[in-house]
Amino acid sequence: MPPETNSAALPSPTFNIVKRRLSFFGLTLDECIQVFFGGNAFVAVVILGLITYFLFREGAEFFGQNRQNLTVYRQAGLEYVDFMRRQEQAHTALTRDLFELRMRAVSDMTTRQGLTLAEANQRLASFDDYAGRFDDAIGPLRGMVADLTEVATAIKTKFNINQDKLEEREQLQSAGRTVEANAVKVEPVDFASEIAPILATRDAYLENNRVLAAEFAKLVEQVPAAPTPKLQGAVERFKVKVKAYVATFPSIEAEMAAWDFRKSVPLWKAFSAFIFGRQWLTASFWQDWYGVVPLFVGSLMVSMVALFLAIPLGVGAAVYVNQIASLREQRFIKPCIEFISAFPSVVLGFFGIAVLGEALRALSQVTWLQWLPGFPIAERLNALTAGCLLGLIAIPTIFTLAEDALQNVPRAFKEASYALGATRLQTITKIVVPAGLSGIISAILLGLGRVIGETMVVLLCAGNRIAIPDFTEGLSAFVQPVHTMTGIVAQEMGEVVRGGIHYRALFVVGIFLFFLSLGINFLAQKIVRRYRISIG
Amino acid sequence: MSAPTFSASMDPSTKSIRTTSPSPTAPEGKPSAAVAPTLIDIENLDFHYGATKALHGITLKVPDRQVTAFIGPSGCGKSTLLRCLNRMNDLIDGTRIGAGSIKIRGVDIYQRDVDVIELRKRVGMVFQKSNPFPKSIYENITYGLRLQGIKDKGRLDEVVEKSLRGAALWDEVKDRLHASGLGLSGGQQQRLCIARTIAVEPEIILMDEPCSALDPIATAKVEELIHELKLKYTIVIVTHNMQQAARCSDKTAFFYLGKLVEFAPTRTIFMNPENPQTEAYVSGRFG
Ligand SMILES: Nc1ncnc2c1ncn2[C@@H]1O[C@H](COP(=O)(O)OP(=O)(O)OP(=O)(O)O)[C@@H](O)[C@H]1O
Ligand SMILES: [Mg+2]
Repeated sequence: MPPETNSAALPSPTFNIVKRRLSFFGLTLDECIQVFFGGNAFVAVVILGLITYFLFREGAEFFGQNRQNLTVYRQAGLEYVDFMRRQEQAHTALTRDLFELRMRAVSDMTTRQGLTLAEANQRLASFDDYAGRFDDAIGPLRGMVADLTEVATAIKTKFNINQDKLEEREQLQSAGRTVEANAVKVEPVDFASEIAPILATRDAYLENNRVLAAEFAKLVEQVPAAPTPKLQGAVERFKVKVKAYVATFPSIEAEMAAWDFRKSVPLWKAFSAFIFGRQWLTASFWQDWYGVVPLFVGSLMVSMVALFLAIPLGVGAAVYVNQIASLREQRFIKPCIEFISAFPSVVLGFFGIAVLGEALRALSQVTWLQWLPGFPIAERLNALTAGCLLGLIAIPTIFTLAEDALQNVPRAFKEASYALGATRLQTITKIVVPAGLSGIISAILLGLGRVIGETMVVLLCAGNRIAIPDFTEGLSAFVQPVHTMTGIVAQEMGEVVRGGIHYRALFVVGIFLFFLSLGINFLAQKIVRRYRISIG
Repeated sequence: MSAPTFSASMDPSTKSIRTTSPSPTAPEGKPSAAVAPTLIDIENLDFHYGATKALHGITLKVPDRQVTAFIGPSGCGKSTLLRCLNRMNDLIDGTRIGAGSIKIRGVDIYQRDVDVIELRKRVGMVFQKSNPFPKSIYENITYGLRLQGIKDKGRLDEVVEKSLRGAALWDEVKDRLHASGLGLSGGQQQRLCIARTIAVEPEIILMDEPCSALDPIATAKVEELIHELKLKYTIVIVTHNMQQAARCSDKTAFFYLGKLVEFAPTRTIFMNPENPQTEAYVSGRFG
């Protein structure tokens, strides 16, 4: 239609492109949404920062306190007494060797030589006599250690009471109750005079050492002939051990001579006592030790078992689902494996105690499986039980990520391989898996991160014995109970005094875990990034 | 397969290397074009992707030691047919041959007792997008041989050189055989893929738009290569480039909507096709 005729009648069309304002507090809807999401992201970052800050603030003071802990250990003479105690304990280990030798002899005699128990005992009479004398030889040293232990403990207790009183006084003073504060009597502990009686035993100790050395030199000569020919080697080994034991005396004496209660403990000792400390011993009457090694070893062993199971299963399943399975199988297997992660870990832990632990122990009693290291299993809950369950937890992580990695391998590689006459197996092993390898490795690392951080299962199933397992027997160390870093925090955090050294030690374990996980994740990401680049 | 092993008979009289010639010409007045024996015999082939039928009754005889080009608009089934020839379609779930047969030297390759691995060694394939493995150039070429269990270093070295020379790539890469194949240019990568394919000495080479990602110079090199290769190999090439089909091939098949519309010597297809659709397509009026 001709525009001239209508332009007068119709209202002229407006060119309205001005945004309609829907505003809350002066913000448009868009801006509100932006603020909402930005705010969420910001809060997340702030919370993360706060957690990290809190962790470090609580943990950092541990080292100062641990230094103080070690200083008292030295000043009150506990350290000095422990030199002797170690000497005594080394002897105890030798006695244990003799005892084991006897046990083997008895079993040899009763099973191989067909003797009755009474006959065997009779034959071993001279051996028993020797063992008795060997044990008695340490008597004087043992007595000395026991006496000094009491003295040192008394000094330490006195010091601790003083510390408590000091604290009380300070609290009263800061509360403004000066009169009461002054009424609190504090006698500072004079370590020099307190440990004098300990140091006074020095000459007696040295004299005793000489007697001991002579005694053992004699005893080595008198070691009875092996009760059965099979034990000849063990007897010879025992002799060598005793000689080596006597040879350590001078170095112990030298250490004790160099020891000075006034020497201050350097701060790095507080660190190294944590990182390399082989004992985690708390609330002890003698001395508390906060060494992370047994816990770290426990975590490591449990994780190793878990990965040992989860790598073949997870990666194998990923390869199968991604490369071999039909669509129907894929639709079945994938949700099944992902379903595992739906189990609450406490349920898995319960399963571990009630079913898996028992089943493993029953299995370990089967006669034709006795060749396996560590079988039969003595403890129902151990690193193996916990590791098996953790493996179950790691499988979905490893499976899903490894499957992704394989999925990302370009189809073209696979086709090219087939077109050159490769079988499916060849294509998988020579092309697909190598091309996805870095992705698979990072999947494994993330699985490891998942396993190291898992708490409930290890708390329930690892057996919770804080000790470095005995690796001298090889793989059987894996069926010994262990404790883990996560487990110890969960177990002890509820019972400790807030702000105390034990409390802070648990925080440092937490920080240690934090860095471990951080490192693992970082490594995994780096590997993935490299893999992206190489595939292009 | 009972097919005789390939023997490379070099006829010096046919050793003519022609590069880009501007107008479509038939292969240099070779009388043998008409009488060349059939190598691949496709008969009445139907092919299905699940429920969809992609090929309808294709009947085609690919001559021995010549270049056969497949042309046609996108989606008409050229790649599908090509991939039927070495059974690459087996890798796709739900595909099947509905009817008909494909025979190579008289052997039906879809028969049950056919060893697909052996078939693929005889029928090599070069893909549209160059796809060297993320391995070294050397490993890329020896991959096929190693699969067959050949480990002899001397033999492998020899094959690497021969294949790279055969693919006109030797001079460019001889100093960096152990560098990654992914570090080559697109054209070099494609020639590497060709070298990799001829390293296993197939009888037939299938090429699916081998030059579509290449610049004109790299394209010319590959075309030059095709001319040399056809002395020893039977080549089936899919292309969207009419000039390329005209330049390289001896016979051309034109497909439309899953059907073979016309199959004739290349000269005929481009100069005076029988079918009006073919005429329209090659002259660029549709497609
Ligand atoms: N994997 C597949 N699954 C289902 N249908 C497919 C598949 N691949 C191809 N097709 C169908 O088969 C038909 C032929 O495809 P094909 O790839 O052979 O065409 P083409 O001629 O090679 O095309 P282009 O020139 O674009 O490469 C198309 O309709 C396509 O949609
Ligand atoms: Mg195609």
